[in-house]
Amino acid sequence: MTNKSLWQKFIDRFTRISIKIGNQIHLRSLRDAFAMIMPLFILAGLGVLINNVFFPLFLKGTSLANFQTFGNLIVNGTLNIAGLIIAPVVGYCLARNRNYKNALGAAIVSLAGLIVVMPVTLQALPINGKKAVDISGFLSYSNIGVTGMFAGIIIGLIAAELFIKLSKIEKIKINLGENVPPAVSESFLTLIPTIAVISLLAIISAILFVGFHTDLIKLITTLIQEPLRRVNTSLPGFLLIYSVGNLLFGFGIHQAVINGTLLDPVLLINTNKNMQAFAAGDHVPYIITSVFRDTFGMMGGTGSTICLLVATFLFSRVKASREVTKLSIVPGIFNINEPVIYGYPIVFNIPLLIPFVLTPIISLLIAYYATVLGLMNKTVVLVPWTTPPLINGFLATGGDWRAVVVQLLSFIIGVLFYIPFMKISEQVLLKQNQA
Amino acid sequence: MSTKNIMLCCVAGMSTSLLVNKMKKAATELEKDVVIFATSVSGFDQELASREVDCVMLGPQVSYMEKDFKEKLKDKNIPLSVINMQDYGMMNGEKVLLQAYELMGGE
Repeated sequence: MTNKSLWQKFIDRFTRISIKIGNQIHLRSLRDAFAMIMPLFILAGLGVLINNVFFPLFLKGTSLANFQTFGNLIVNGTLNIAGLIIAPVVGYCLARNRNYKNALGAAIVSLAGLIVVMPVTLQALPINGKKAVDISGFLSYSNIGVTGMFAGIIIGLIAAELFIKLSKIEKIKINLGENVPPAVSESFLTLIPTIAVISLLAIISAILFVGFHTDLIKLITTLIQEPLRRVNTSLPGFLLIYSVGNLLFGFGIHQAVINGTLLDPVLLINTNKNMQAFAAGDHVPYIITSVFRDTFGMMGGTGSTICLLVATFLFSRVKASREVTKLSIVPGIFNINEPVIYGYPIVFNIPLLIPFVLTPIISLLIAYYATVLGLMNKTVVLVPWTTPPLINGFLATGGDWRAVVVQLLSFIIGVLFYIPFMKISEQVLLKQNQA
Repeated sequence: MSTKNIMLCCVAGMSTSLLVNKMKKAATELEKDVVIFATSVSGFDQELASREVDCVMLGPQVSYMEKDFKEKLKDKNIPLSVINMQDYGMMNGEKVLLQAYELMGGE
């Protein structure tokens, strides 16, 4: 009895802490912002796929390069402005989550704030030139693109937060008196907060630039983004965080609470960098990306539950389980598995919680080492997470059939792994019903 | 009896949209005059501002938003409830529909 209450206590505390993290307003705003701009990154994936997999099938040389202009332009409008887009959107989402009415105003300040912290002069390599030259009057794709994504997020949040805070202070609102039309005084309301926030960022940037020859983008990228990305997307860090998120789903709370905040931002940077490198024909840097996780670590949804469905279909005699399986298989093909999680159920079902957390780890390890050994390509295309397994493996790796074989192998191992736990779960259920 | 509007909400609005179809089917069978739709957690504010809503049903996986959303619904007097886990898992449209009607005060 004491054992059970200890377990219950653990679940309660674990869930409460996770929710606290996931519901933290800035992290939540970040999650909302990502949801809003995701279509653009999926479009980037499509552009890269067409450019680097489809066109080369029947084009070569100059005509290929000409056709590839299409995809390059798409990359410009998506990956290359990732930071520029995320800043105002995250500011907007923060304002909304703070129930602040003028969300667009906050978005504008976030965008202006991000541009203010950009370096004034840049080093650039002229086309056909060998020596870098200093240029001014430009923004670089590197600063406003994927590399600057974290800077965009942080500056966007800080600017919007300050703006919202200052806007709520009555004393600094400009009051024009009763005779002035309300719309006119309305336009003055945000004036002082805007001036204050942007000026503050400008002062900090100016000091950094003039005094220390550096800029906020560089500082945020090297001091915050890179260390965080390195730890959270290392194999142990990634597997640990992902599994904690999955365990949370086993207690009924969606894994996005953990993964959407601690993993997605850094994994997405990896995905985008891979896409960018693949599009440019450069060396593809990362094995662990957001699409790597979706493709190999959540076949049929969180916990790779398509394996459980097939295991049930083949080996279960329990009518209720077979009913849920029938109901869950079609959504499962599109990686939606709430019916399995709540209906089978997996939630609070200890025998099934074990494979629910471990199966994704096994598949991810197989896929990771298959990539390390050069048995399949790295993931280079962002495909929507609702793309069915096997198809997503093929597309995500830029059309590598070997990735499909790896997925198939992981799937079979997953089914075999789920079987004994499924049997135990059924025994437990049977005993409970008899008692 | 006027038309009732039921809003379902989950992480991406995907699995709840599955439930919406089942609920609509149940509504036809029970001859209820009702509009049912699904949205994501991040689309909640927008839907609330632009559409008529009589009650909100949360997927159990986003039950942690309950307090926050209730706060937002307080002024408008819109009731909110978390969908029962079992009914959600079995995609039991009828039970969830009846849960919603109970929430809106019967009929």
